[in-house]
Order: sequence, then structure tokens, then C-alpha cells
Amino acid sequence: MTREFDPVKLSVLANAFDGIVREMTNGLLRSARSSVINTARDFSCAVLTADNQLLAAAEGVPVHVFGAGPLGEDMIALHDDIREGDAFLHNDPYLGNSHAADHCILVPIFVGGKHLFTAVTKAHQADCGDSLPTTFFATARDVYEEGALIFPCVRVQRDYTDVDDVVRMCRSRIRVPDQWYGDYLASVGASRIAERRIQELAEKFGTDDVVDFVEAWFDYSERLAQNAIETLPEVDLHGESTHDPFPGTDPEGVHIQATVSVKPTQGRVSIDLRDNPDNLPNGLNLTRATATGAALAGILSGLPETLPSNAGTFRRIEVKLREGCAVGVPKHPHSCSSGTTNLADRVVNIVQSSFARIDDGYGSAEGAAGQTPAKAVISGTDERNGNAYVNQILVGGVGGPATPYVDGWPTYQRPVCGALLYHDSVEVDEQRYPILIHERALVADSGGAGKQRGGLASRVTFEPRVDQVTLTYGIEGKENPPKGVRGGYGGAAPEAWVEDVSGSEPRAIPVVGRYDLRRGEKVVSITPGGGGYGDPLERDPQAVLVDVNDGRVSAEAAWEVYGVRIDESGAIDSSGTENQRKNLSHSRGSVPN
Amino acid sequence: MSNDTALSKKVRYRIAVDTGGTFTDVVVGCSTGGIAMGKALTTYDRVFTGFEAAVRRAAESVGWSGDDVLRNAEVIVYGTTHATNAVLTGKTAKTALLITEGFADTLLLREGGRRDAFDSKAAYPPAYIPRGLTYEVRERVSAEGTVLEPLDEDHVRTLLHRLAAERVEAIAVSFLWSIINDAHERRVAELIEEILPGVPVTLSNYANPIIREYRRTSAASIDASLKPLMEAHLGDLRRDLVESGFDGDLLVVTSEGAVLDVDDVLDRPVLLLNSGPSMAPLVGASAAPNRETVVVCDMGGTTFDVSLVEKGTVRHTREAWLGEPFVGHLTGLSSVAVTSIGAGGGSIGWIDAGGLLRVGPQSARSTPGPAAYGLGGEEPTVTDACVALGYLDAQGFEGGFTLDRRAAEKAIESRIATPLNMTVEQAAQAILDVSSHHMATAIRQSALEQGVDPRGALIVAGGGAGAMVAAGIGSLLETDTVLIPATAGVLAAFGAHKAPIATEFLSPLHNDTRSFDVSSAANAVREVSAKANEFARRFPGTGADAEVTYFVDARYPGQAWDLRVYLSEAPVAESAAESIEAAFHKEHDHRNGTHDPTSRVEIIAWGARVEIPRPELVDSNANDSQTPETHRTDEMVFDGKKYSAPRYRGGTLGPGDVISGPAVVDLPTTTIVIPPTWNAQLDENSNFYLNLKEA
Repeated sequence: MTREFDPVKLSVLANAFDGIVREMTNGLLRSARSSVINTARDFSCAVLTADNQLLAAAEGVPVHVFGAGPLGEDMIALHDDIREGDAFLHNDPYLGNSHAADHCILVPIFVGGKHLFTAVTKAHQADCGDSLPTTFFATARDVYEEGALIFPCVRVQRDYTDVDDVVRMCRSRIRVPDQWYGDYLASVGASRIAERRIQELAEKFGTDDVVDFVEAWFDYSERLAQNAIETLPEVDLHGESTHDPFPGTDPEGVHIQATVSVKPTQGRVSIDLRDNPDNLPNGLNLTRATATGAALAGILSGLPETLPSNAGTFRRIEVKLREGCAVGVPKHPHSCSSGTTNLADRVVNIVQSSFARIDDGYGSAEGAAGQTPAKAVISGTDERNGNAYVNQILVGGVGGPATPYVDGWPTYQRPVCGALLYHDSVEVDEQRYPILIHERALVADSGGAGKQRGGLASRVTFEPRVDQVTLTYGIEGKENPPKGVRGGYGGAAPEAWVEDVSGSEPRAIPVVGRYDLRRGEKVVSITPGGGGYGDPLERDPQAVLVDVNDGRVSAEAAWEVYGVRIDESGAIDSSGTENQRKNLSHSRGSVPN
Repeated sequence: MSNDTALSKKVRYRIAVDTGGTFTDVVVGCSTGGIAMGKALTTYDRVFTGFEAAVRRAAESVGWSGDDVLRNAEVIVYGTTHATNAVLTGKTAKTALLITEGFADTLLLREGGRRDAFDSKAAYPPAYIPRGLTYEVRERVSAEGTVLEPLDEDHVRTLLHRLAAERVEAIAVSFLWSIINDAHERRVAELIEEILPGVPVTLSNYANPIIREYRRTSAASIDASLKPLMEAHLGDLRRDLVESGFDGDLLVVTSEGAVLDVDDVLDRPVLLLNSGPSMAPLVGASAAPNRETVVVCDMGGTTFDVSLVEKGTVRHTREAWLGEPFVGHLTGLSSVAVTSIGAGGGSIGWIDAGGLLRVGPQSARSTPGPAAYGLGGEEPTVTDACVALGYLDAQGFEGGFTLDRRAAEKAIESRIATPLNMTVEQAAQAILDVSSHHMATAIRQSALEQGVDPRGALIVAGGGAGAMVAAGIGSLLETDTVLIPATAGVLAAFGAHKAPIATEFLSPLHNDTRSFDVSSAANAVREVSAKANEFARRFPGTGADAEVTYFVDARYPGQAWDLRVYLSEAPVAESAAESIEAAFHKEHDHRNGTHDPTSRVEIIAWGARVEIPRPELVDSNANDSQTPETHRTDEMVFDGKKYSAPRYRGGTLGPGDVISGPAVVDLPTTTIVIPPTWNAQLDENSNFYLNLKEA
């Protein structure tokens, strides 16, 4: 227990800061204009301390906020004239940001003339001025081909007023500029809310108490993390994974690895990502923020306890990165356009699944990733009203990882953000964009079998209602789908193709890139399923029965994979199940961990 | 009416009843003046039994005859948690869902999202209607209402025969874009009537005509699943009432904070969801109609409900989850905005792994209850803290038993004081402080999420435990006045007693202020206004004129969430664009801190809310002759200091009396704690105003 700081006040102030971040989040969601922000909720809010430590990030997306500290460091390093009323626009991946499509607004918060905190909003834009209408330009050979407008933490407000030079630059290069400006206003508004609330808080509790609170809260969080790590065995966990081949990668893809060292006697965990390929000539490179964020997310998801997401917890976790490394600190001008997703998802999966090797009860399986056309950035002109549009749609989820305790979630979006994001309403998408969605359905047997089953994949089909809709997407995990752990099976691989609305043979489309979907064509996407946890022969037969009744598992798979016999009346045949499980167990041999 | 005079001379009663999980609370008002309150245990097998007992108890407490009250009741307002509980415990009818082909997983997938990214123990929640009872129907309508694929009636017939074989008890029908063109939904209803006559049906466009297929489908599914159950429940109650001689109107409390005729509710029982906490805010609204902001807190044993009233208007939301956010069910229907947190008299104080004092959300509930109840509870609760600090009357607790002060102190000592190296008084104060801070944060957050500043708001506190902590919360929120209504212990029933008859009608005709379709707007306004007026004509007997308020649900282009903007008068189609645009900018600035004056505004839906107020009955029983009487002086602790403070008997206090803190007032249904820096004053209706003393 922190002896110096009143425990009551500690709890009260921690709640208050969380409340402020939730209020920022709510305000941004309500007033944003693009659906990737206001519907899918692809943004995060956080509060940093004056020395740029992450203090509060309630409901923040892991890969967004865990590396937020460096954003504040950039603001301090680049500006010696910060004052109240300033706001900074920062999306530079070579400094502390994630990828260029994440526009951050930083507002330094002054109390009594002193800079004490910084409010950060980070929102995934519908467009960021790339040379193609996408915010994930995985095939871009470098930042020049990527083409995003990059703002290395530039002042965008002084004295609470827009710096018009910057706003004009954005308006002249970002597609659908009114949408961008509306989102910008919503972000600034959210940061200003935090500014107001923190000033009120300091006035109420006294500046000294609020400053002292920060250290006490970090100490408390650190103690929780230390306690959690002390319960683990001393172990080095090595994990690896291969990202599918993409343009600019080796023909066999990108092989990456990580070593997690658990040191319970010191109450510390370290993760080493340095032994990995150099920067790639495409948009897959991670940034310091996203490599750190993904590693931390993997560890928090691997640990059995839920820990506060702040710098105090992170004091017990060391992330080792290398300059010029594809999963490390990028060298300009390598592109990081897809640096929040593809390799970052692989890092989360490596880390969280490696914890499963400790024992049953630890870690989780791999979660599905990738961006089939069901999650494409779509763009064009809506002939119904003449309006241009560009935005990422999130019609279908992917299968989440099974954990030691529960099945994977079907509303998972990808490892770096878990299931925090929302998905689109079919009706809202059809009202906003000229598309007709034929189905959004879960796919039976797509979740990796296991004692806990992987989350199911979704099948999404849509057609344009105009001459052409441009899709930009990137299918990942086709060759290397999510793996199960402790005897759990892997999830199903993703697929996507195009066919005529009137019916025709499927036509292949590129795995990654752009496709102009024409009138009369429809695109079918099947997202990947999540990995299972534990031996499927140990799954509760009742849970298998429920899955069969709900169409999540076929009767064949129940028999052949889970060894469960369901009789004619639709009930479990216990002795038939026991026999089949014995037979299967015998023929399969021992279960790997 | 031919015998107006005779009728007016006859004494008439109005009964409001709130059936909770444990108690049935009743408030009875009399046409010649006087209000009576009573409580009895809720009787689950037959609601009427507990209701009748509570009415008799209330009547007898003021010398009326229970039989007279029941026979001469002109209105009975009934509030029930029956529908909510049935949904939460899955005890509803076997319901099938017919849905557009390709979208059978709509109820399972919801809208995505979750609270905590790293909680490895959180299970994905099941769909409200399982996949096995969900049937896909071949049909499709576009966003503009064009039929892209006609309804396959043969297929529907085949499905319906299968449902008959499955013996489903109710059917929900939800098709994409039925809000624009509901022909397919209506045709399926006809086919059901033909093939499965008598099986209740709910069409999504009727349950809740809004865009976003999950919410609409969810509303329809819940509605259908409640129909057989509520038909039986309300039907039984109505029969019992008629048999006991009642021939007045039976009204039912809705989630919207209003009441509706029992037939309207039977037609759309989804309106009963979350109706439990919808009534307390009305008491706050009428208590201080001119205050800028009133925060109504209802604190019971396990939960603390917060709602906001602005300038006499109760805040509503269309985002009320039934159950936990993201994993419960959402209907998108307008409901009184209530934030509930696990904080109440029974909330348990504990120390977490990091050494931090926490209070709740676990509660000792009624069994084993707080340690002080002496029923075997060993965990220290907020109630125990109040006992240890001397606030609760250990000797004369009016719950029917004495409180065990020693047991309370022991629990606090062993679980909190010793580990944290504090005295028992300090630990008790700490439990109360942490709990008060939780509640203050809940208030602050629910206010701020609605864009309302709670500072300086009037706090109205009720519920069994609310008056104990009211002044403390008031201090934290920097307000100098807290109102404890005379009816604090039966807040919900009292709210139901005065709730208006109200409902709203929507027309989802899309429009745009800069390319305004005048005839579409005129059609929308005509439609909602006709429905509102038709509704109002059904209740001629209330003696009050219906008030129709018009509103639009609107947004800036690109926004996904609309704002409800109330209009000062019925919109005139020709000039509506300009006035709506101006009203929207203003509302957006108020709610979200910014507005965009250059932007056009999209109108998502037109609406009318019709409200028929019911005349207020006043309490003439109030005591105004006696002098305030104390029954004892106890030692109490406030902020670490010991005081000798008097305990007053609530029954001896009357309008105008002022009590200076530190003091405690013992009322039959609650205890009011007045800290040293506060005093209490009774207004003309015996409501207690706690006021911060001038420094």
C-alpha cells in the first residue's frame, strides 16, 4: 500500500481520470463524421503526465494507446514555446506515432500556468491523402509512394484557434475534406473536454495532491503487475509466426519471432523483438509505438490477471526493439502504412500464445487478423446524390482466440484491438454508401476446435449499386491461419472472390491491393476463424451440442473432431461419446502443448 | 355525464403501486386531500395479494377503509419489474424469429464492442433467440424502399407450418428496411394469422421503427417473447381488480417514464423493459421544475440509480442496455436515462491485492445482509459503517429488528481497520467516503456524458439508503442543497402516482435542410400529428388537455448518431428547414461542445410526443401542529470528530420546522443524516431540504 498517499483519495482520483477519458471517448464517438470513427469506434483517448507517462486510457485500443507516451515526448522535444490554448497534430510514424492514418491531437493541459498533463486523441481517419484511396497501403514501396500527408507534431491550434495553414493543407490533400474537418473538430473537442475536466479536478483537490497522486497510482499499478508476475514460473518463452507473402516480402512471407523472459524473482517480464528482419520495401513495417503496443497487448492478454493499462504496470515490462527492423523502429523512408495491423497482429499472437505453454490457465490461442473486402476501404461517388465518399467499412468480424476459460468471440476485429471495436449496421452502410449487402453470416466449423473453441469467421457478400465501387483491402492468414494452443486446432483460413450477381464461376481477386467492383459483380469475403485452446476431446459435450444446435459446429465435426455422439432425439449419447473419444484419442496420439 | 354533481361529491382514490423484488410499495391519494403510503411483501404467485395488503396497510395508517379505497379507485397505476426479470432470467415464451435471408446472426452479433480487451474470462453472450429458432425468409427491400426480391410466400408458408409443429408461442418478424417499406412484414403477419391464428406476432417496424437492424430486431424479439407472459400477468391482475370492485382505469408504468393504458402495453410489452427505475426521476422533476439541473438518486440495498432532470424535463436515452453494456440486449427505444452502479447500503468494503480500499460492487443483499443485521453477515458494508458512526438507530431500527452495533464494528475492525492500521471510526468513515465518491463519480459521469454540469445541481435523494449519504454526496458535488422528498422511502410508487399518460410516435422520413423536400416533411408531420391526436382522444376523463410536443432526430452529414431536437411548435413544412437547422446547431453545441454553422443538417425522423398530465393530489395530512420531538441523543462521528447529536422522530416534524446538524431524523422508511455543517428545513409538503450552513 502506498503509505504516503491517502488510499481513499487514490481510488477517487483514479476513477476521476478514467471518467475523464471515457467522457472524451463518448464525445468523439458522438460528434465524429466518418463511420470508421463514429460507428466502428477506431480511435482511442488517453491522458499523459507532464513527463509523458501513460496515466489513463479507459477503453483505449491497445495498439493505439500503449505507445502513447512517445507522442508527448515529441511535443516537448520539438516545441519550446508550448502554452495554454495550443493543440498539436501528430501522425508521424518515424517519431512517436503509429501509422500516418492515425491523426493524433495533443493538447497540453496547464494548471496554474504549469504544464501538468497532456490529453491525446488518436483517431483512424477515413482518408489521409495516400496516393490510393486507402488508409492501409500495404504495397507502398516507401513513404513517397504511400503519399500520406505527414505532420511531425505540428501546432494546429494556438490560443484555442485553428492554425489555418495546416487545416488548408489537409483540406487540399485529404479526400472528402469536410468529413476530415468534422472528425478533426470532434478530436479537438474531446481533448478540450479533458483539459477542462482536469483543470477542475486540480482546482478541487489541489494541484499538489493531483501531482502526488500520479506517482502513487503508478506505484500501486506497478505493485499489482509485480504480484501477477511473481506467481509465474521462471521461463523463457520463444514464439514465432509467419506473415503471408505480400508484394515486397520474400516468397515465403515474413517470418518473425519473439522471446519473452519471465523473471518472477525480479517481478519482471521482458520481450525481445530484435532478432527479426530488417525494414521491408512495403507498408508492413511497424513503428516504435506499434511494436511496443503490440508486445504489451500480447503480455496483458497472456497474463491471467487484468492489470491497469498505465505506465506503472509497464515499468515491470521491458520491450527490446532494434532500429531499422520491420518489427521495431522504422528507418525513413520505409513505409509504415499497415504498421498498426499485419505484423503487429502477429506480434500480439506470438506473445499471448507463448504464455499458453506455461500451463493450462495461461495465455490464449491466436486470434484472426487480416482485412478481407468485408473490411475494405471503399471509395467512389454515390450516384444517388453525387457525393464522393471514402471510408473503411467493418461489416464482418473475424474469429477471436479461445482462452483457457471461454470460446473466442465472433465480433473480434483483430489482435491489436481485440473485440473493442464495433461493427457496422447493414442498414447504415447501405444508406451511406452505394452498396447492397447480401449476407453477414457466421461460418460453421470455422473456429478452431478445442476445449474452448476459437471464434467463428463471418461470410459477407455485397454488390455495388452504381457502376463501380473501389475496394482496397489485404487478405492475411490465407497461408498461415491462426493457430490453436495446448492441443487446440487452428482457425479456418480466409477467402475472397468475385462472381456475377446473376451467378457464375468464382473469379480470383488479388490478395492485397485494389479492386474496382463493377455493377453486376458481387464480392464474397470469408474472414478467418480464431484458434482453439486445449484438446477438443475435453470439450464439454453439452457445449458441443449447443454449438451443433446453433449451427456453429456441424454434426460431422462434432463426431469426427470433438468425438461427441448426438442421438436421434438430439441429446448427447454418453456412452457413444465416451467410446468415440477413446478411439480418437488413441488414433491421434499425445496432445502437443 | 348526467350526474356530474353526484360524482364530484363521491370520494375517489388514485392508487400507485410499485412491485419490486422484495417489497410492493403503494401510494394512495384521495380526491378530498390526503396521501397514504404502505408496503407489503411482493407476492410472486399472485401480484394482487401483496398489492391488496399494501393498499389496506396504507389506508389504515390514515384511517381510511381499504375496501373503500379499492372500490372507489378511479385509477390504478401499476409498475412492475416482471417483464425485465423475465427477460433477464430467460423465462419468456418460446419465440421464433423470421428475418431477411443472409442475416440470421443479427441478434447474436449485436453491434460489437466490449468493456475490457483483456478479460480472458468474459464469455460471449448468447443471442436473445437461438439460431435454431431463427428462420431466414427470401425477400429484400432496398434502402429506398424498392422491392429487390419479392417475398417468397410459399417459403413463408412452409416455415410457418414448421413453426406450428415446433409449437412456438410467439413470433417476431424483422426485415431489412421495413422502416421504409413494411409491406413484406405486414404480409407475413397476415400469413401467420391464417396459418397460426392466435399466436402473438411482433413486426419490427411496429416494435421500434428505427434504422439499425440489430436494435429493431432485438426490440421485436423481446416484444414478441413477452406477449404471452404479460397477457397472463396483466390479465390476472385486471381480473382480480375487477372482482374486488374496481371499475376505473388500469395504467401501467413504461420505461419512458410515463404510464399507458393496459391495452397499449399488452400490444407492445417491450415498453415495460427497465420501467423500474423510470419513476423516481418524475419526483425530482416536479419537486423543482425551475431548477436548471436536478439529479435524482435512488439508493437501495444493492444499486444506486442516477437520473437527470433539466429544467423540469427528465433526460431520456435510446442506448439503455438490458443487462450489462455490450453483452446484454439493446432495443433502441426511448427510456428514462438511468445510470445504475453497484453501490447501496449493502455494498461490501474490501481491500484488494494492491492494498487499496474498495467498496462494492458486491453486496451483502438481504441474506446474509450487513453484519449489523446479525443474520450471519461478516463482511463490513456501508450500512455497518453508518451504524458504527452512530447514524443508524441501533436500538430502534424500524426494519423490524434491532441492529447489532458490536457485529458491525467487529466486521469493520477485522476486515478494514486492522489491515490498514486505522481506528474503527476512521475505517467506517473511509468506507463511507469511498462509497460516496463512487456515487458522486457516477452522478458526475452520467451528467457529463449527457453534456450537463452537475455542479450546483439540486440533488434529490431517495430510496431506503439515499438519505443517509445525501449530504455527503452533495458536498462532493459542490452543491449546497439536497432535497429528500417526504416520500423518499417509496420514491418509485410516488413517481407513478403522478406520472403523465404519454407516448411518442415516429415517422422515419429522411430529409435534408439544404435540399428540403417540403411534401415529405408535410406528410411526416401530418402522420405523427394525426396519431398523437387520435391517442389523446382516448383519454377524455383526465380533465386535462393533452400536450403534443414535436421533435426531430437529426445529425450533421456523416454523423452516425443523431440528436433529438425538440421544436417550440408544430413544424410548418414550408419553413421548417431553417428553424430545424438553427435548433440543431444550438443543441449540438450544448451536447458536444462544438457546432458547425456552415453545415447542412440531415433529418432522420420526425416525431411527436403526446402527454396527458394527471391532476396532482395534495397531501393534507401533513403535521403542522406538533413541535419537533427528539427521542434520544446519540454519539455520532462526522469527519473524525465526535458529536452528541439528537435523533428526531419524523412523525413529529411539520412544514417550516428547521433542524440544525448534527442530527438524525428517523422516518418509517428511511433515515436522514444531517452532518454538522448542514441543516434541514421542511417545506409546505413536508419535503426535507438539506442546506449547507452559511460559513
